[in-house]
Amino acid sequence: MSDQNSKNINQLIIEQMQIIVEKGFANAAKGFSEMVGLELTVDNPEVKTVPLNDIPMLLGGPENDAVGIYLKIEGDMTGQIMLILPYARALSICDMLMEEPDGTTQELGSMERSALAEVGNLTGTFFLNAMADTTGLSLRPTPPAVMVDMIGAILSVVIATMDEVNDNVLMFQATYKLKNRKIDANFWIVPDAQSLERIIKEN
Amino acid sequence: MLNNIAVGLGEIKISDDPNTVLVAFGLGSCVGVGIFDPVKGVGGMLHAVLPSSSSNKNQDTASKYVDSGIQMLISELEKLGLDKKRSKLYVIGGANILMANKDSAPFDIGTRNVKAAKAMFEKITWTPDVIETGGHNGRTFRLYIEEGRATIRTMGEKEKDI
Repeated sequence: MSDQNSKNINQLIIEQMQIIVEKGFANAAKGFSEMVGLELTVDNPEVKTVPLNDIPMLLGGPENDAVGIYLKIEGDMTGQIMLILPYARALSICDMLMEEPDGTTQELGSMERSALAEVGNLTGTFFLNAMADTTGLSLRPTPPAVMVDMIGAILSVVIATMDEVNDNVLMFQATYKLKNRKIDANFWIVPDAQSLERIIKEN
Repeated sequence: MLNNIAVGLGEIKISDDPNTVLVAFGLGSCVGVGIFDPVKGVGGMLHAVLPSSSSNKNQDTASKYVDSGIQMLISELEKLGLDKKRSKLYVIGGANILMANKDSAPFDIGTRNVKAAKAMFEKITWTPDVIETGGHNGRTFRLYIEEGRATIRTMGEKEKDI
């Protein structure tokens, strides 16, 4: 496909997807809030294309410690879901989940990891449900995987799973806020380009 | 004063400036290849994302793939007088970050990247001096041009010489 052609399709997708994606992120925030027991709001949901090389730099630097909760999307549209939390933030979310005072969780054992996996699971499922409701597509997430590592290493999972290396990656992205405080939870949906193009063409 | 030069996804960086440190931050499934020629005082680093360029013949993207990226790195260094026999060769990264997940097996790119790198160096009969690959953790790989020292660092650990 020519660059020109792919650019047009990207623009078309961006226009058509913005509303759907906003609903998806809002619903995902509801899922996250229910689980953590705090009212989260969505900040700045966007459909955008990002240069591949910028991706590891998006979240404050590729060497920062982080937790990534990763799911794949199966069904009419395929793709990837990644919820990324700074390491310290993930520890305090575990405290919220386990109803412990802030600062109790010092490391991520198997219990903490499965709690975080559940956060990702719920967030991802809520997003996909909203998207399925709006579009009529059948979408389901795979079981979540939790990664604790440098941001660069976590994000390489998303990049390596794409079949070819494109210079630009189409993604739906949002951050979440707790009241007025940013909680630095980054939520990414990276649809497989081909599957998204097919859907756009069919509709 | 040392200058970090980040080697981003799919990039090659070359330097003969003794104040330079080439750095591939947080290598996960990606593979970093470092070469240092102590006589010429020149080093280069590749940060490759996927194993093989066979499906992609575009020259612009050669450095994104392990096989074509290695060839490109070597040929750029040879322009600056690289002699393989006296040079140090490092192959770093290629971890399976998604570990124990049953979904990870079919797309364990890390393992495939390392395999592609080893195959390429076998083909050109150049044995790497240091291979630090596999496992489940990301690595930051640094090459200090001044002394040709190489280090890796994993999450929560100190930088260590390799």
